[in-house]
Order: sequence, then structure tokens, then C-alpha cells
Amino acid sequence: MFDAPHSRLLCDILKHAKETPDKIALVDGDQRVSYRQLVERIESAAAYLNSQGISRGDYIMLMAQKEPTFVYLYLAAHLHGIINVVVDAASPQERIEYIFDLTKPVAVFGNSSNIKSARSFDDINLDKCKAKTSALPLLKEDDVADVMFTTGTTGESKGVCLTHSNIAGSASNTNGFIGTTADDIEALALPLSHSFGLGRLRCVFMAGATLVLVSNFANLKSLFTVIENEHVTGFGMVPAAWQYIKRFSGKRIGRFADQLRYIEIGSAALPVEDKRLLMELFPHTRLCMHYGLTEASRAMFCEFHTNADNLETVGRPSSALVEVSVFDEDGNPVTDGNDGEICVRGNMVTKSYFLSQDNDDAFYGDWLRTGDWGHHDANGNFYLTGRKKELINVGGEKVSPVTIEKAIISLGVPDCACIGVPDPNGVLGEVPKAFMVKGNTPIDLDEIKRGLMRLLPPHEIPAMWEWVDSIPRTSSGKIQRLKLK
Amino acid sequence: MESQVKEIIARALNVDSAIITDELSSGDIPEWDSVGNLAIISTIEQELGIEFPLEDLFDLTSVHSIINKVNQLSNV
Repeated sequence: MFDAPHSRLLCDILKHAKETPDKIALVDGDQRVSYRQLVERIESAAAYLNSQGISRGDYIMLMAQKEPTFVYLYLAAHLHGIINVVVDAASPQERIEYIFDLTKPVAVFGNSSNIKSARSFDDINLDKCKAKTSALPLLKEDDVADVMFTTGTTGESKGVCLTHSNIAGSASNTNGFIGTTADDIEALALPLSHSFGLGRLRCVFMAGATLVLVSNFANLKSLFTVIENEHVTGFGMVPAAWQYIKRFSGKRIGRFADQLRYIEIGSAALPVEDKRLLMELFPHTRLCMHYGLTEASRAMFCEFHTNADNLETVGRPSSALVEVSVFDEDGNPVTDGNDGEICVRGNMVTKSYFLSQDNDDAFYGDWLRTGDWGHHDANGNFYLTGRKKELINVGGEKVSPVTIEKAIISLGVPDCACIGVPDPNGVLGEVPKAFMVKGNTPIDLDEIKRGLMRLLPPHEIPAMWEWVDSIPRTSSGKIQRLKLK
Repeated sequence: MESQVKEIIARALNVDSAIITDELSSGDIPEWDSVGNLAIISTIEQELGIEFPLEDLFDLTSVHSIINKVNQLSNV
């Protein structure tokens, strides 16, 4: 078996393969892969990569798919210091071409109609590849393991360089908080192309638990069958998936309350009433909602039951190795509880973007600037009030669009998003504009304006309004404000 | 009605209509994820002027089951 001191993820997988070789690591349909077999296939995949002339420092593009071969290639690259560029195969051609041109991968694996040279996972026969016994290159834990491209709500997508230390740190912090153990069996319906889903895979393997691949959340009947038949004890979901589960299955998922030990939630905000509904359906399950970003995965956590009296908070740092602080616009810590920019440092925080120009203004020293605006209370709980870059500057007053959106939604509007637009009177600089979905609600604009006068100071009340059919959102549920004008 | 439903599903998922077989189920192709499923349901409801009862959505997991339900609702 291999030795990979640079990668705690691989070291842990190896440890499980030695201590519990027959324990099932991965389930894909009828296929069951033990930890011993997982190590063998990682070695075979590493041999395959070498046979293709790919070696340390090369970039490979992996089209994230729920395929065991994706998992083997992803981990094999780590073994040999090959850098994974993980992308969503369903991304628009423009995005894939942008990432391809930027990272110049020596090979592309997975199904992609956008890149002709891509080798389908089905065409890679790892059984033919014999593991080499030659010495592995000397690698360091601070070497880059993966480059993930953000799906940010603002600006261009950025490549985030994550080291072996970063990805293991995030998984270790997460497992420590959630309490995932080798006894757990997790259903993975999240996409592997995002930090959340790929992170769940790493968490499960580091814990020595079992990962069951599920294509996505679309077929809830199939997902529930997997949860029942595989005796699943945990899964991760984004708020949009929860809304989908509610709409398509009502409260049926509650029948698994006694077997589900944990649910990790993240990537976008979840309304308090949904948090309460989850607590009602899952009274004994750890309901762990993370705050994080690709650059600083799982920076904070809030477990709903233990924070039942304060569900507004995004939580506290996920481990003793993570620090979160609030800074003013000059880069000085804000200590009086006022709003400022949330900044994070710790073992999982990226040290660099792929393009050095993206590092400009991205850090205060070793503190990563998240671009999120918020504050903390005396007990160290953090609260978000909006994206700094999305704050609306109304005559010098910074207004969070999230505050206005919450107020409008509280009046009965099904969905809405707010942005800053130039003040048509040329006085205030910017004024808020609200985009609202009418749905079946009988509420009219005058009622909304009257309602908001009770809830918001005058400068926060939108000056412009528009009814729309839907609010543009990313696949994980974040509002795409740049698409609104 | 059957071919019309299949055509709507293909359009909602932005895929070639040739792959929309009776047996195809949600989750079988990357395009038929939860967002795709929402698109299918809302497009059928809008274009055919029907409304799927909430309690039935859980069982609409394949092209076949959607066609059956549309037929049932259209005949009411």
C-alpha cells in the first residue's frame, strides 16, 4: 500500500483499509467497494494517470459525476501531486472553456460535450492498470490539491487553490462538529462539483464511514428507498433541496427521524420557520448548518436544537483551529458589535487564488475577506446582514438588500430580491429597487409600501419596484443579483 | 397527448426529445435534477392548463407516470 504523508485524507483512508479492510467505503447502485478495494483502485488510478504521462504539478480537469471512477481519479491525483480542477459537466460551455483556457489541463476526464478531448469515465479501465512500486514524489501538505471555481453571486468566477492541508482541515473541523463516525452511512445527493458535496465525500472517507452515491434530489422516491435500504444515518442538503423535498414529499421524510443522526445544511440562507420545521420533524437529529465559502469551507456551524432560542445566528467557528472576526473597511477589527466585513482564518482557508490578481484586496494579512457583512454578539455568535459588495449605498447609508427582502417577504410576497440602482433624482447615489414575485398572493404594491413603512426606516424602502416571474438563483439557491437590473 | 407531454419534458430539460422514453426517470440524466423536475411540472401545468395535486408530486418520478397523471387529470 502507498504512503502519503502529505495528505491526511489519503492517510486516513489507508488507516481504515488496514484496520477495517472489509468495511464498505463506497456504494454505487449494486456496486460495493470496501476500504481495501478503495485503496487498490486509487493505486490503479494513479498508475493509469502515470501511464498517460501525467505527473506531479500537472493539472487535470475532472467533470464531477457520481461515478466511482471519478472518486478514484480524484484521490489518485492527490497521491501523485497532480492538481484536480473539478468542474460541473453541466456548466455552460462558456464557463468550461474559461476554466480550461485558464488552467490548461493536460487531460480532461468525464463526459463533456464541450471538450472533444475529454475521456469518458466509462472508457477508463482501471483493472488493466497495475500499481507501480516506484517511489512517489516528495510532496508537502501545503501543495495545491484542488482548484475549485467559485459560483459567486458577484463578479467573475475565481479559481480557488486548496492545499492538501486545507481540504483535510475542513473535513476534520466538520467531522468534529457534526460527530460523523465510522458507524455512519451517508447518502450523497449533492453535486460533487461544489465545495459542499465534495467536502461531504472527504468527511465520510476520513471518518471511515460509508458513502452511498445518489444521482441527485430529483427522484425523492428513489432517495427515500436508498435511505431505508442502506440504513442511511446522514446526508447533506442545500436550502433549495429542502424546499424541493417539502414541496414534492410533504413531511414524508420525517419517518426517517429515528435513523438519521445528522443532516448538514449549507450554501444559502434557510428561513427560521424551516429550521423550526426541521427541528419538529427530526427531534433527535443533529441539524448542522454551516457558513462557509469555497475559499474557507465550513468556517462556522450552528446546530439548531442546541441554538433553539437563537436560530438567527450563522453560528460560531467550526473548531478551535478556525477564527472568525469582523473588520471595518480600513482592515481594523470591529470590537463593539457593530457591522463590518466577516473575515476568517484557519486550517481550511485558502492562501491564494489561481490568478494572483484575484489576491488583491482578498486578504487582511492571513485573514480571508469573505465579502459578507455582519456582526457578532457578546457570546461570540455571528450574524449576517448581507454581501458587502451588494450593499446598497443610499446617500452614504449602507443598506443590506437581505434586510429589505426579509421585510417584503414577511408581508406575504412569495419571493423577492433587492439591488441598488442609480437614484433617478441624482441625489442619493443609489436607491433600493425591489424585484418581487407575485404568485397567487392578492397583495398589491400600495399595501407593500404601507407595510414596509412600519418595518423599515425610510431610506431602506425601495424607490423602484418590478413584478417578475421568478428570482434568478444559482443551483444552490443564492440570489444572482447581477442578473437583475 | 403522450407525444405532447414528451415534447414538453424535453423542452423543460433542454434535451433532445429522442431521449425522452417512457422508462426515463428523474435522476437518470444530469439534466433531470430537482430544478429540471420543477421546470417539467410548472411547464406542463402552464401549457396544458392542469394542476398536479401536491400529494401526487411524490409519485411523478418517470415519463410514464407523468403521462398517466396528465391523462387522468385531463379526463376529469
